[in-house]
Amino acid sequence: MIEVKNLVKKYGNFTAVDNISFQAQPGEIVGLLGPNGAGKTTTMRVLTGYMPVTSGSVKVAGYDVTDDSLEVRQRVGYMPEQVPLYPDMTVEAYVLYWARLRRTKNPKQAVKAVLEQFQLLDRRKKLVRSLSKGLRQRLGLAQALVHNPPVIILDEPTIGIDPKQVVEVRDIVRSLRDNHTVLFSSHILSEVEQICDRVVIINNGKIVAEGTTDILGEQTHSDLALYVHIEGDKEQIQGLLQQIPAVSDVQAHESGFIIRGNNDELRHAVMQLIAEQRLELLEMRPIDRRLEDIFIKLVD
Amino acid sequence: MQATWLVFRREIGQYLGSPLAYLMGAAFLLLTGITFNNDLTLSIGNKPLEPALIPSLLASIMILFAPLLTMRLLAEEQREGTLELLLTAPISDSSIVIGKFLSAWAYFSILLALTLIYQVIAVSIAFPDISHVLGSYLGIWLYAGATLAIGTLFSATTENQILAAFLSMITLIVLYFGDAISQIVSNTQLADVMFNLTLRGHFMASFAIGILRAEDLVYYAGIIVIALFIAIQIVSSRRWR
Repeated sequence: MIEVKNLVKKYGNFTAVDNISFQAQPGEIVGLLGPNGAGKTTTMRVLTGYMPVTSGSVKVAGYDVTDDSLEVRQRVGYMPEQVPLYPDMTVEAYVLYWARLRRTKNPKQAVKAVLEQFQLLDRRKKLVRSLSKGLRQRLGLAQALVHNPPVIILDEPTIGIDPKQVVEVRDIVRSLRDNHTVLFSSHILSEVEQICDRVVIINNGKIVAEGTTDILGEQTHSDLALYVHIEGDKEQIQGLLQQIPAVSDVQAHESGFIIRGNNDELRHAVMQLIAEQRLELLEMRPIDRRLEDIFIKLVD
Repeated sequence: MQATWLVFRREIGQYLGSPLAYLMGAAFLLLTGITFNNDLTLSIGNKPLEPALIPSLLASIMILFAPLLTMRLLAEEQREGTLELLLTAPISDSSIVIGKFLSAWAYFSILLALTLIYQVIAVSIAFPDISHVLGSYLGIWLYAGATLAIGTLFSATTENQILAAFLSMITLIVLYFGDAISQIVSNTQLADVMFNLTLRGHFMASFAIGILRAEDLVYYAGIIVIALFIAIQIVSSRRWR
């Protein structure tokens, strides 16, 4: 459905996207993950036919974005990071406008269906300007889905809305899986982990890692991080922890320490230390950072 | 074509749906009404009614009015980010620009049509030269099309509406008064060329005095085509930037 091969996008001398390749299959939700300015939005803009490629080939729904731009645009639903709205239109007229521009069959019916799906039907006569941020986000999604495109591209759809609405949007995105290919960008790791089947991590315009969330998660598990809080003098305890052979790194964190080291031995070694030194353990828990860990490691 | 129509329909809805449209319409009728009434008073027993009165007045008013009507068209879409969505819709860039331009022209046409009421009054009390009147209306209609196309062009250049209006006003002033410089130079041939490049040079010397010339039609149509062509290129250039 989405096929990106050696995509390069330059703005003048600045290379925003540097030779990236990835694919997304039908029925798959792919997360595009990276810090701000990594090239996520640029990649999406190329995929939607908004910007031409500098070099490389990009195919969406079987059509090349350079040669068959109109065919691609017909088959893509796009929600930019800032939901573009016409404040003076009613909710219904706004969605109907986009439905018609994209030559939807039975536009009125399609609009009604999508407004119902996003629980906007009772607000259809309201002006767009009167909607709250969360409703605007839903309207942005409705606009992107009204022509029932096979490919949906969402640029940071959960930014700037409250936690309840974030959950709502995530549920909606997840529900799209069955009939669509979704490319979803975010810089929130846990979100991508929850929603996406596969993750493409990019930084400075390059792909630094790609794979299913499980595979990416496993990579960090060989190197476990534990939070331990032990009663007593901090410096003395830090010294003791550092002496454990299985521990590779000790960092002060909150009122205790984060220790890293070999997954299999770490916990035993800590318990042994406590028993031997007759220390009092107040808290010990694994720090499950998974993607975040890889992410920071890769991005640094 | 269909996309042009859809863009046009949305835009004309914006013009007619805002209270500002009716305020402008009222101001338009007030101004032209006072002018007509003055001419009527002066004319009683002295001279025939001036056939191109309203179109001649509008020729100078369009310098200010056209930028105000068009500044919103593309600048607002850029500011709100909706242009990005339009450019990713399966429609051509030209249908966006042309649809918007036509909506401004159509809105102006409605306002212009309202002033025909003065001609109805004129016909009912005197014997105006109808063909002269209609010729001047055709002239101002084309003239307005050219000024609105220039306004559309500058609306495409920036996301700042005020700046867009300002730039198109300056351009229209230069195009309107451009021949003033020809009055300073003593070269009459040059002066003639300059006059023929200005907006009013193709109105005051022909439509306003009851002459219909092909070159004037070509001049205004040419300005519309060139301005819209540049506007389309500017919109498309957002893809390369």
